[in-house]
Amino acid sequence: MSTMTADSFAAPGPGTPEPGRPVKAATLAGAWRTFLVRRVAGLLVNLALLVLVTFLIVQLIPGDPATAIAGESATLDQVELVRTQLGLDQPLPVQLWTYVSGVVQGDFGDSYRYRQPAMDIVMTAVPYTLTITIAAVLLLLVLGIALGMAIGVATRGDRRRWLDLSFSVVTGIISSIPTYVLATGFVVVFAVLWRVLPPAYSPAYNIGAAAILPIASLSIGGICSVARIVRRETAVILEQDYMRSARGWRLPTLTLYVKHMLPNLLTTALTLSGIILTALLGSALITEAVFAWPGLGGVIVQAIAVDKDYPVIRAAVFVIGLISLVMTLIIDIILGLIDPRTLGGKRD
Amino acid sequence: MTESNPAAAVRVAEAPADRARRFAWNPGLVIGLGMLAVVAVAAVIAPLVFGTQATGVGTDPGQASSAAHPLGTDTLGRDMLARTLVATQSTVLMALFATVLSSVVGIAFGIFVWLAPRRLRELGLRLIEFAVSYPTMLVAIIVAAILGQGVVQVVVAVAVANIAGFARLTANLAAKISASEYVTTARLMGVPVHRLALRHVLPNMAEPILILIAGAFSGALVEISGLSFIGLGAQTPAFDWGTLLNDGLSRIAVNPIVIAGPAVALTFTSLAALMVGDGLAAAANPRSNSTRARLVRAEGEPAVVTIEGDDTVLIADGITVKHGSTGRPLVSDVSFTIRRGEVLGIVGESGSGKSLTASVVARLLGEGLEASARRLELGGTDLLGRVSGRTLASKIGLVYQDPGTALNPALVLGTQLSDVLTIRLGFSRRGALGLLARAFEAVKLSDPEGRLRQHPHQLSGGMKQRAMIASAMSTKPDLLIADEPTTALDVTVQREVLSLLKRMNEQSGTAVLFISHDLGVVRALCDRVLVMKDGRIVERIDDVATLSEDTVEHPYTKQLLAATPTVAVKVPAPTPGEARS
Repeated sequence: MSTMTADSFAAPGPGTPEPGRPVKAATLAGAWRTFLVRRVAGLLVNLALLVLVTFLIVQLIPGDPATAIAGESATLDQVELVRTQLGLDQPLPVQLWTYVSGVVQGDFGDSYRYRQPAMDIVMTAVPYTLTITIAAVLLLLVLGIALGMAIGVATRGDRRRWLDLSFSVVTGIISSIPTYVLATGFVVVFAVLWRVLPPAYSPAYNIGAAAILPIASLSIGGICSVARIVRRETAVILEQDYMRSARGWRLPTLTLYVKHMLPNLLTTALTLSGIILTALLGSALITEAVFAWPGLGGVIVQAIAVDKDYPVIRAAVFVIGLISLVMTLIIDIILGLIDPRTLGGKRD
Repeated sequence: MTESNPAAAVRVAEAPADRARRFAWNPGLVIGLGMLAVVAVAAVIAPLVFGTQATGVGTDPGQASSAAHPLGTDTLGRDMLARTLVATQSTVLMALFATVLSSVVGIAFGIFVWLAPRRLRELGLRLIEFAVSYPTMLVAIIVAAILGQGVVQVVVAVAVANIAGFARLTANLAAKISASEYVTTARLMGVPVHRLALRHVLPNMAEPILILIAGAFSGALVEISGLSFIGLGAQTPAFDWGTLLNDGLSRIAVNPIVIAGPAVALTFTSLAALMVGDGLAAAANPRSNSTRARLVRAEGEPAVVTIEGDDTVLIADGITVKHGSTGRPLVSDVSFTIRRGEVLGIVGESGSGKSLTASVVARLLGEGLEASARRLELGGTDLLGRVSGRTLASKIGLVYQDPGTALNPALVLGTQLSDVLTIRLGFSRRGALGLLARAFEAVKLSDPEGRLRQHPHQLSGGMKQRAMIASAMSTKPDLLIADEPTTALDVTVQREVLSLLKRMNEQSGTAVLFISHDLGVVRALCDRVLVMKDGRIVERIDDVATLSEDTVEHPYTKQLLAATPTVAVKVPAPTPGEARS
C-alpha cells in the first residue's frame, strides 16, 4: 500500500483543484485503519458471544444438567460430584464468572474421561483437522476458480453448448454427493478394491498417504460448487462495460482474462469461499469419522455421544468457532487487498 | 454441498424486483421435480410393502449382491434394498420437518427484525450475522450436545442451525423490497404495516425464498444423515440413510455393496433438490440465447466516393447490422466519411442504431449480431480484413457512456490504463505511466501521479471520464469514438467533458466520431451531423452553423430541433466558442 498521507478515504470532490493548495489524490491508508479497527472490534464481540455460547451448552441441558451428564445409572453421590465439578451448585453469575476467568487462561476444566485438561486434548486434535481443511480449501479455490473460469470463457456468448450442458450435469451430480458418502465411496474404490491407499488413519501408515483420501473427498464436491458459481460469475463479468473497455484497448486474450477479469472474479469467489469454508469445516467433522482421522470431529463426537465429556465439548466448540472466525477475517483481509471497495462496505 | 443454491437465491434477490418476469419451465426443473416425486412415492409406499422385510431378522446375514438381495444383506440378514427404500420415509420426513421448522422460524424472525425498531433491528441483524458465520454442522452439533441424541433432537438441531440462513435472506429481501417505490407509495397512502408485509413484501420474496428452501432441504437431508452417520441421530431400532451408511462402513472391507443403497439414495435425493433449486433460479432469471458476432464484407456499388489525396481518415460504406438469430435489421446501409481533424456527430433516439454503427467502426460488435459493409477503411487500413490488435489499439481510441462502469473496479487506474501502452504499443511500464501522467495533466486532473495509484471508486464521475479521454488519447489514435460520453454525467460536468473533447480534437487533429441522443450537444461540438432513425440515416447536416428548422428536410430532424430549443442561442453552455477558450 502506498504510504502517502491520506486526507480522507473518499475522493476529494469533483471539479477543479483549489488554488493555492494542491489537491492530493487520496490513498487507502485511512480505509485500512477503519477496516482493521472495525474488524478487530467485531472479532472481540464474536469471541465474547462464543464464550457465552459454550458456557450455555451445559446450562441449557433440559431438566437437571448434572443428572443428565452423570447418566441414568449414576448414584446420587456421582450426580453431586458432577454438580460441584461443573460448579452447577453455584448461582448463575458466579458460574459464568468462574467459567470466563478459566477460559481467559485457556482452562476449560479437566476431561472426565482422560483426567487431563480438556484444552490439551483438543489442541492435540487441532493440527489434524487444520491440515486437511486448509489443504482442501486451497485446492477448492485454485481448481474451482480455474475450472469455472475456463468453462465460463469457453462457453461465453453461448459457444459450445454441449460443454456447458455436460459441465452443469457432471458438477451438479458430484456436488450433490454428501462428502461422507463420497469418502465412503473412495474407501471402497481406493482402499478395498484397488488397495492403493490406506483406508483409514493409523500410525502404521504414512500420514501423507493417509491424508489423500480425506482431502480429496472434502474438496471435490466443493471444487464443483465453486466452479459452478465462478462459471456463472464469469458470464456476468464478461458482459460488464469494463471488459468492453479492455477489449477496446485490444488487449491480448491472456491479459484480458487474467489481469482484468480474474481480480473481479476473485472478489465474488472469496466472498463465497467464506461460506464454503465454514461448510467445509462442518463437513470435515463428519468426514473424519470415515477415516478414523484423529481430528476435532472424532474428539467432539466421542465427547457428545459416548462420554458426555462437557469440558471437552466446550473446548472443542470454542476452538472450532475460533478457527472459523480467524479464517473469515483472513479472507476479508485478502479481499481488501484485491478489491479495496470491500473495505468500506459490510461483509455479505 | 449446496452452496450454489443460496448463491442463486441472492442473485435472484439482486435482480430488479420490478422487472416483469414470466416463469420459464426448464428441463432441469422438470427432471428435479420428477426425481422428487419418485422419492415421495418411495417414502409413502416402501414401508407398507417392504416393512417386514426391512426389519425382520433374515436367514442369510452378511450376503454380497445376489439375485434375491441385489444390494446384499446386513449382519442380521436384512435385505439392504428393502431397508434403504423403507428408510426413505424417516429420512425425508426428518429433512422435511427440519426445513419447514427452520424456514417458518427463520422467515418470521427475519420479518420481525425488519419490522422492529431501529435499535432492535441492528441487534437482530448482528445476531443473524454471528449465527451465519458458524458452520451449520457445528451449530447442529452444539444443539445435539445440549439435547442429546435421537430423531427429534437431530431434527431440532438441524432446524436451529438453518434458521439464521432464512432469517438473513428474509431480512435482506425485506430491506430491499421495503425501499422499493411501490412499498414507499403504499406506505405514503397509509397502508398499515402488517398489510404491507403480507400484501407487498412477502409475495415479492417468494421466488428467492423458494430457491433457498430447495437448497435448505438438500442441506438438511445431508446434515441429518451426517449426524446419524456419526451416531448423533437416529438410534436403534429407528434407522435412516445415515445409520444404514454407518452400519455399512464397519463392514466395508468385507461387504462393500451394502453402502450402495444409502449412498445412491442420499445422492439421488440431494441432487433432485439441487436441480429444483437451480431450475427455479433459472426459471426466474432466464439466460438470453445469442450467437457470436460476425463482421463480413458485402458486395455492391459503393455509395461513398472518395478522392485520392483527400485527407479522409475513415471511410464507412454500407454498414448493415442484423440480429443474429432473428435476422431483424438493426442498421441498414449506413455510409459516411470523416476527414482529419473533423468531428462527425451521429444523433438519434435510443434504438436508432447509432451506437451499433459506432461499434462496427470500432470492431467491437456485441455478441449475437451480424454486420456487413461494402468498405470500411481507417487511415488506409482495411477494417474488414484481418487487423492486428496492435493496429486497432493504435488507430482507434474509445470513450464510453458511463465512466462508472467502463473502468475496472478492481484495478488501479495506472494498471488498467497503461496495459494498452505496454502490451500493444511497446512502451516500458515507466514510460507508459509517465505518458499517462502527462495525459492526465493535459485533461486537468489534479495530482496525476497520485490518481494513477487510485481505484476508480475514489474518483468522481467527471474525473473518471476525463481519465478515460486521457487514456484514449494516449495512443495518439487516428479516430476517437465517443459513444454518449456525457449522458451519464451531470450538466456542469458535461460541459467540462465537451470542451475537453473539442480541445483534444483541435490540438491533436484527431478525427472524432461523436454519438449522442442530444442534438443540442451535437450541434455545439460537431462539424457535420448525421441524423439516424430506425437504423437509417434520415438527414445529413453539412452546415451546423446555420442549422435551423428551415434548413433541414426530414420531419424527424425538425422534431428533434423543436425538442431541443435555444440551446445554442441562450444558454452558452457547450458552445464551440466557449469550448475553444
